[in-house]
Amino acid sequence: MYTAGGPDFSKRSYLVVDDYEGMRSILRNMLTRAGAQRIDFAANGLTALAALDKSSYDVVLCDLYLGAGINGLQVLEEARARELLGPAAVWLIVSSEKTPEMVTGIAEAKPDDYLIKPITESTLITRLGRQILKKQALAAIEQAIRDHEYLKAMRLADARLVYDRPHARELQRILAELSMLTGQTARAQGIFEQILTEREIPWAMLGLAKIHVQEGNPDAARKLLQQLSDGHPTYLEGHDWLARILEQQGEWEAAQDVLQRAVSISPHSPVRQTRLGQVAFKRQDLDTAESALKKAIGLYEHVIRKSPDPYLGLTQVYVERKDTGQALKILEDLASDMKDNDTARLLAKAMEIPVRLCAKEPQVAQAIAAGLAANLREQSHLIPPDIAFVLAGPLIEVGDKNTAAALMSSVVGNNHDHPEYLERAQAVFTQAGLEEEGRQVVQAATRAATEIMNKGVQLSREGKLEEALQMMRQARKRLPYNPRLLLNQAYLLIVAIERRGHDLALELEARDCIDTARRLKPDEKRVGELLAKLELLDSNFDPA
Amino acid sequence: MTDVPPRPDIASFLVSSIHDMKNSLNVMASFLETALRQSAADRSPLRRDTAKALYQAQRIDDNLLQLMTLYRLDREAYPFDPAEHQTGEFCRELAERVASLAEQRDIALHLTCAEELFWWFDRELVFNTVLQALHNALIYSQRRIDLSCAVRDGMLEIRVEDDGPGYPPELLARADAIGRGDCRETGSTGLGLYFSGVVARLHENQGRRGHARLDNRSRLGGSAFVLCLP
Repeated sequence: MYTAGGPDFSKRSYLVVDDYEGMRSILRNMLTRAGAQRIDFAANGLTALAALDKSSYDVVLCDLYLGAGINGLQVLEEARARELLGPAAVWLIVSSEKTPEMVTGIAEAKPDDYLIKPITESTLITRLGRQILKKQALAAIEQAIRDHEYLKAMRLADARLVYDRPHARELQRILAELSMLTGQTARAQGIFEQILTEREIPWAMLGLAKIHVQEGNPDAARKLLQQLSDGHPTYLEGHDWLARILEQQGEWEAAQDVLQRAVSISPHSPVRQTRLGQVAFKRQDLDTAESALKKAIGLYEHVIRKSPDPYLGLTQVYVERKDTGQALKILEDLASDMKDNDTARLLAKAMEIPVRLCAKEPQVAQAIAAGLAANLREQSHLIPPDIAFVLAGPLIEVGDKNTAAALMSSVVGNNHDHPEYLERAQAVFTQAGLEEEGRQVVQAATRAATEIMNKGVQLSREGKLEEALQMMRQARKRLPYNPRLLLNQAYLLIVAIERRGHDLALELEARDCIDTARRLKPDEKRVGELLAKLELLDSNFDPA
Repeated sequence: MTDVPPRPDIASFLVSSIHDMKNSLNVMASFLETALRQSAADRSPLRRDTAKALYQAQRIDDNLLQLMTLYRLDREAYPFDPAEHQTGEFCRELAERVASLAEQRDIALHLTCAEELFWWFDRELVFNTVLQALHNALIYSQRRIDLSCAVRDGMLEIRVEDDGPGYPPELLARADAIGRGDCRETGSTGLGLYFSGVVARLHENQGRRGHARLDNRSRLGGSAFVLCLP
C-alpha cells in the first residue's frame, strides 16, 4: 500500500550501514516487508567501502554517525571518488537530528536524500521509492555525462523534459549546467533567469553569477553572490564564489570575512580552511592563518587525495614569525604525510631553503639548493606559482640565479597574458637588486609564449596544419600549463580531425588539452565551445 | 573574590534532556504502535487505552520537538533548509504517521493533493506543524478528516479540516493574535499555534511571507487549520 506507482523493491540490491545492530535490523525488516531480497550490512565506514568495492549496490542506506572513524557523508564522498557507485545508485543518509552541521554536510556531499529519525516504514519506502525512480529516470543522462558526451546528455534531457513533469526541475538544472559546460551561455542564462522569476533558487543565482564572471562583469556577479550568501547561508558554494571575486578585486579583508563565515557554518572542508589560511596570511593575520591551516592539515588526515598547500602555507606563517623550528617540523610532516607524492616531497625539501635562511644557516640552505637545482629546473612546471615566487628570492640569495630564473620563466610562460604574474616575477629580481636581469627573464619568457601562439595561428592559416601541430606539441613540453596554448592546440587538433576523419588518438589528445585548460581556468568560455565541437565531430562521423 | 559556584547553563541542560526524553518517547511510541497492530481485531478497553497512551506520547513528542526547534531558531542555530518537495508524497507520509490512531478511532482520513504539485519548504518544520494539526483534529472529529494541498493566490495552502464541533468563538478571537492560541485542550499552552506561525513566517518568497490560521470554515462542518506558504 505504500508503493503505489513505486519501483519493484525485490529486483534491487541494498547495503545498510549503521553502527548500531538494533537499527540495522529495523531497517532490514522494513526493506524486507517492502519486498527486498538482497540486503547486505556494514557496521562502519571502512567495511561499507569494502562491501561497495566488492559488489555494486542499487541502494545504500547509511547512518550519518558511524561511531569512531569516518561518517556517512565521508563514506559517500570516498565511494564517489573511487567510482564505486553506478549511475542509478541511490544513497540515503539517516540522521537522528537535524542540526546545522548535518545540513551543511548534506549540502556539500549531496546524497540523494536524507531521513530524520524516527523513521517509519512508510517514510522510508515512499522516499526511497521516489529516489529510485528519479535515479532510474536520469540514469541514461548521467551515463552520458560520465562518458563526457555532454551534447548527447542534453538531447536526452530535452527529450525527457517534454513529458517528465516530476523531474522537470532537476532536468532544467542539468540542462543549465551542461549548457555552461559546452559554452552555450545564452541557453544557460535563459534557464537561470526563468527560474529566478519564480523563486530565488540558489543554484540558479550561482549560475547567473558565473555567467557574469565569464562575461567580465564582476560587479554584477558580486552583487548577486552577496545576495546569495546572505539569503542562503547554508549554500556554501555561494560563499566560495563570493570570496573568489573579492580576492580578485583585491578586497582581502572582505574575502576573509566571507570565508570565515563559510568555515563557521561548515568547518569540515580542508580546501576552504586552506583558502581561509592563505587569505589571512596575505593580510598578515597570522593567528587566523595558523589556526585555519592547522585545521586543514587535520582534516586531510582521513582523505586519500591530500594537498601540500596547507603545509606550505603554515611553513610560511612560521617563517614570518621567525619560528624556524616549527616551520621545519611542518615540512617534515609534509614529507612523511605525502611520502608517495614526488612533487610534495620536492616542495617540502625546497621550502627548507627559505626556512634555513631565516634561521641564519645560509650554508645549509646553499647545500639544499645545490642538491635540488637540477630537479627544480626540470620540474619547474610542477611548482605552484605562489610557491615559485616564495622560492625564487631565497634561491638568488644562495647564489643560484639560474634556477630562480627557470622557475620565474616557467610561471611567466604559463601565464603570459596575466600582467600580475609578470609584475610579481619582476619584483622578485628587483628586490634582489637584479632589475635588468629580471626584465630579460620576463621578456624572454613572454616573447617565447607569444611567438609560439602567433606562429601556430600563422601556420594553420597557411594550411600547414601538421607543422603547426608539431610546433604546439613541442611548446607544450616546455609550457604545459598555459591555458591559451592548450586551447589553441585543441583547436588545431579538432581542425585536423575534421579534415582527416575519425582519429581516436587525436581526440584523446584534444580532450586532454581541454581538460587541463579547464582545471587551470574553470570559467573560460572557450573550454566549453571546444568541448562541444569535439563531441559534434563524433556525431558527424557516427550518426547514431 | 567570593566563592560563587558557576551558574549552571540551564538552557543546555534543557536541550540535552529534551533530546533524551524524545529518544525515550520514541521507544515507548513504537512499542505502543506494535501493541496496537498486534491487537487489531481486539475491541477491549485495554486497546482503547493503549491508543490513548500512544496519542499522548505523540503529543508530548510534538511539543518537545517544537520547544527544541524554537530554542534553536531563537539562537539562530536551526538550519532552515527549504527545498522542493512533492506535496502528494509529503501528505501521504503525514497520513501514514497518524494512520494507526485514525484507524483505532474509526476516523477516515482523506487526502486531496495533485501528484504533480511541487512546492518549496523546510520539510521537517512543515511536517511537524501539520502533524500536530492532525493530532488535534483526531480528538475532535467524528468520522472524517480531510488533508489537502492546493495552490491559491500563488501560495501553497495546506488544510486540515474535521467534522467536529469547531473551535469555540473565544478561542478563535484569541488565536488571531498569534503567540497565544490553542487552549481548546486542557493544559494547552498556545505553543502549537505559536510554532505554526513561526514556521509559516520563516518561509518567504519574493517579498511574501507565509501565515497560519484557525477557522471554522471546514468543508466538513468542523474546524480547519490552514497553513499558507509562499
